Amino acid sequence: MKALALAVPTGRLRDGAERLLRTVGLLPDGLAADRRLLVETSGGARILSVKPADVLTYVEQGAADAGIVGRDMILEQARDVYELLDLGFGGCRAVVALPAARAAGLWQPGRVVRIATQYPRLTARYFEAAGRPVEVVVVSGTVELAPLVGLADGVVDLVVTGRTLRDNHLVEVAEIARSTARLVVNRSSLSRSPRVADLVERVRAHLAEGEPSVRV
Amino acid sequence: MRIRLRERPRWRALPAGMRDQSAAEVANRRRLEGRLLALFARWGYVEVATPTLEFYETFLRGAGPGIGDRLLKLVDNGGEVLAMRLEMTVPLARLAATRLLPAGRVPVRLSYVAPVFRGQERGSGRQREFIQAGVELIGAAGPRADAEVIALAAEALKVAGVAGAVIGVGHTGFLRGVMSTLPEAAVDVTRDLLYRKAFADLDATALPGQARELLRVLPTLRGAGALGRAAGLVTNGEGRAALEALGRILEAVEVHAPEVQVEVDLGLIRDFDYYSGVVFEAHGPHSGLPLLGGGRYDDLLAGFGHPAPATGFALGVERILEVAAEADGCAAPIVVAYAGDCYSKAVAVAARLREAGMPTVVDPVGNAPAAEEALCIAVVAGRGLRVLCGSREEEATGETVVEAVRAVMAARP
Repeated sequence: MKALALAVPTGRLRDGAERLLRTVGLLPDGLAADRRLLVETSGGARILSVKPADVLTYVEQGAADAGIVGRDMILEQARDVYELLDLGFGGCRAVVALPAARAAGLWQPGRVVRIATQYPRLTARYFEAAGRPVEVVVVSGTVELAPLVGLADGVVDLVVTGRTLRDNHLVEVAEIARSTARLVVNRSSLSRSPRVADLVERVRAHLAEGEPSVRV
Repeated sequence: MRIRLRERPRWRALPAGMRDQSAAEVANRRRLEGRLLALFARWGYVEVATPTLEFYETFLRGAGPGIGDRLLKLVDNGGEVLAMRLEMTVPLARLAATRLLPAGRVPVRLSYVAPVFRGQERGSGRQREFIQAGVELIGAAGPRADAEVIALAAEALKVAGVAGAVIGVGHTGFLRGVMSTLPEAAVDVTRDLLYRKAFADLDATALPGQARELLRVLPTLRGAGALGRAAGLVTNGEGRAALEALGRILEAVEVHAPEVQVEVDLGLIRDFDYYSGVVFEAHGPHSGLPLLGGGRYDDLLAGFGHPAPATGFALGVERILEVAAEADGCAAPIVVAYAGDCYSKAVAVAARLREAGMPTVVDPVGNAPAAEEALCIAVVAGRGLRVLCGSREEEATGETVVEAVRAVMAARP
């Protein structure tokens, strides 16, 4: 039988993903510290290490049968995958934040704000639904820098503790979405591969019995 | 001096999602298309064609307002908004409702092979122009009509040489039934979650326990025993009716004894809003995307003024070619070379080879090596074989040439 191909994100969600996979027996030895991008585990899986923004691409196209990805990416990319389980870890919120000193003036209905973000579609959708005009500036990291140097009025970014916002003198004015890590699967794989159904069941069982997961 | 922006040489490139096809790709595609059309014809489906462009409004009327964003649109000189067809079901429903059904022919069995277009694809490397082949059975209701179309889909996969595919069959009435039990406030949220296939978010909704449990296990309601499991979970009449209908359809499919695996898949959610009953999709072993999809759309034709039950499917020709058993590509032609003064004889030999069905070209400059004493030489390209055809002195008869080339090709395939 074909090994189960699983896309695991680098970065923020990696540790949580590794813990989960170890618990359900897919990754008995843990992920090695080396830089191999494709690892065959003794638990019968192929682990693909991919950028968080690429997990959904691998799964949608069937290069991976399943993947672990933040809900923020799912909302941003709107890909054709089945989002089956809330894994509970990696909790964060997507918020609109503006410079503390100017927030009240900027956050007037009808006033155009320039927003720097890695989530252009999520941002555009939120502002459209809220009936607020917006100009979106797409950046690929260190988003909080943009308002400090006049590139944008504010940001839409993920917040865990709020520390980055505070350190850069930004205050949250609206919450756009809540996110946790999710298990997504390719529809075709779910139909055909017993291994994928088995993975889903094992993770589901683990979530049901395991310690109450941390929710935000 | 004026500084000009350097021109971006678009003429070298193609629009996103568009591609050229090589001779081998076209040859394989044509062969597959021919086999599919012949299969559809054997089942009594006649091939029709509709224009690539129709009014934008036609597509919205057929597939709902949500389809607008996916269409490739243009405005003609008269200011009319047109769109390139996204799929063939809506154009054929329009054709049937406005022309065929009023003429009194029921049921109508139509088939097609046609390129379809998308306005945009979400940056995932999908094509914006691709070819669909399919059938529509219009004016026939009941499980045997659905079974006919599903069995034909299975037969199409077999004819195409796809091994190991599975056809999953679901029913939209099952989900509609679940939705009908929900409190008003939860309906839109739930529909949105299902549309996004965001089953993980169900936990956060205020759904009644039983409905939530049913929706949560929805993606796993597949395969043997799924109908029984679902029957134990469903509490409403519409859902039960859908499960019964599905059971009858699968029984009727069984009678056809398809060679492709057909199984229940209640978690199937198709992209188009017009489906009203059974829905199905085929998945192959080497592709993450469905190879074909279809279902029943009993309300679509009413929108075009002539209500009629209908069912059908479409398969992606290029997707099938990607997973199908290795095809042949196209054969290189036989080259007839000749000594300088034997041009007319070479042309005659080529004519006989073509008559015999062998692709043949005559070398424009002759190209027979001076040392050759032959009248002309048929070279089977790519195989390093040459057939000497007669000599300067004696006249080569066409028959001997054809026989000689055939013998050589048969000897070393």
